[in-house]
Amino acid sequence: MKKYLYIYKTKLMTDLQYTFDLLLGFVGYIIHIFIFLNLWQYIYSNPKELINGYSMSQMIWYVIITEILWTCLSGRAFSKDVSNDVKSGNIAYNINKPYNYVEYALFNHLGGATIRFILLTIIGLTIGFVFLNGFPPLGILQILAVLLSSFLATIISIFLIMSLSLISFFIEDASPFYWIYSKFILVVGTIFPIEFFPEVIKPFIKFSPIYAVSYGPAKLFVDFNMTDFISIMISQVAYLIISFIICHLIYKKGVKKLNVNGG
Amino acid sequence: MLTAVKNQFKITLLSVKYALQREMLNKFTFFSNIIFMIINNGCFLIQWIILYSLRDGIGGYSFRQILLLWGLAAGTYGFSHFFFKNSYGLSSAINEGRLDNYLVQPKNVLLSLITSNVDVSAMGDILYGYIMIFIYGFEIKTFLLYTLFMVIGGIVLTSVAIIWGSLAFWFGKVDMVANTMNGLPTSFATYPDGIFKGFIKLLFYTIIPIGFASYMPIQIITDFNIYYFFVVISVTILFVILAFLIFYKGLKRYSSSNLMNVRV
Repeated sequence: MKKYLYIYKTKLMTDLQYTFDLLLGFVGYIIHIFIFLNLWQYIYSNPKELINGYSMSQMIWYVIITEILWTCLSGRAFSKDVSNDVKSGNIAYNINKPYNYVEYALFNHLGGATIRFILLTIIGLTIGFVFLNGFPPLGILQILAVLLSSFLATIISIFLIMSLSLISFFIEDASPFYWIYSKFILVVGTIFPIEFFPEVIKPFIKFSPIYAVSYGPAKLFVDFNMTDFISIMISQVAYLIISFIICHLIYKKGVKKLNVNGG
Repeated sequence: MLTAVKNQFKITLLSVKYALQREMLNKFTFFSNIIFMIINNGCFLIQWIILYSLRDGIGGYSFRQILLLWGLAAGTYGFSHFFFKNSYGLSSAINEGRLDNYLVQPKNVLLSLITSNVDVSAMGDILYGYIMIFIYGFEIKTFLLYTLFMVIGGIVLTSVAIIWGSLAFWFGKVDMVANTMNGLPTSFATYPDGIFKGFIKLLFYTIIPIGFASYMPIQIITDFNIYYFFVVISVTILFVILAFLIFYKGLKRYSSSNLMNVRV
């Protein structure tokens, strides 16, 4: 475990050197929040009105939190890195090192995600505070619960994206799988809470990874209650185990097929 | 003059053709990239179905017009990324000295550079645009206007990408700025302009020119307006001239680099 923590720390320190680049990369995040701020202000003709149990300010906070979780992942770059490691044969250099590639990639990526999460949280909370005149009413314990849920959501997402990227062992370009996954999360998980979907679809979303990686932490932030917290924790622990097993299985199966040509 | 333009056009098409043939070596990857991109874009329809179940006429657009907006946004993006993919990596090409290969060719440097690679998945965007047109309601006039504005919008986006990328001639490493600025039109172009207020609308007709690439063309397609039509055409020509002027002005400052690379 110590070696993985060292990998995490190294990545964290490296990324800290490029804070300006990171901040520039967050322009996209700010633009998305700006668009949804305008969109929800347009749709809620009266800010006090409730749509599917959510006020305008709750809807905007929901998007702020889900976008923080999604943007801090930098999923496209991570997926590309893992796929390139497989396609270029670079993964062969990792196999004979005294660590497991999956854990290496997890902790390495988690280092970068931590910096992005902290910076995005500062930006997101500032935008929310300025435009919505305050924060949702949360106590210290509830904030800790949201942070725990966000941390689990990030790890599950990393495992799921890594699993999709490791499909490169079997087909040349696995990026389309990532596109579909990312759009699934963005459209179904980031923009609207589950309550906005038709009754028939709700149970499917509740049992999908969206509940664990996107809806869960955001719902706890905008409208915390103990029943939801327990249900979200159960879903996150289950998905953590499932995604961990799937990722290791694909890696183990893929590595057996690895055929690296010299060059 | 006309023969020179014709020859350059022929070379440009050949360049795209060879790049496409390279990509088609792996047929499964080629087709899966296109099909998955269509599905990828289609996912966003869910968002609009839900939004329109909450309120009609968002930003002054009917649901059918949103389909048209989405189709045009995907089409312009696809046209630009398919035919002129390298305009989006111009700043790194300048910094890494990769213009050397094109400078020794007896053809237009900028066109040779930006057309020497294709983005296969962008074909999925182009096809998705046409699917949206069919769902919107197929008419010869709509189809022709859509195709014209897809090309025009793609050229506007490419020109803007060239302008941002060319800043590397003066300021060196501008990749992050160029990437960020090139991403902005895509982020806004899929939302109706009616939901935005004030200052931001000014940006749509200046540094994020989706007003000319998307919003005005949508108005022309749905309710033809000759004045808007000529404004869009004129502004596109202006953007192209500006892109060429800035690139060739900057090219005089180009000093290559000591980075060794092999072009396969």
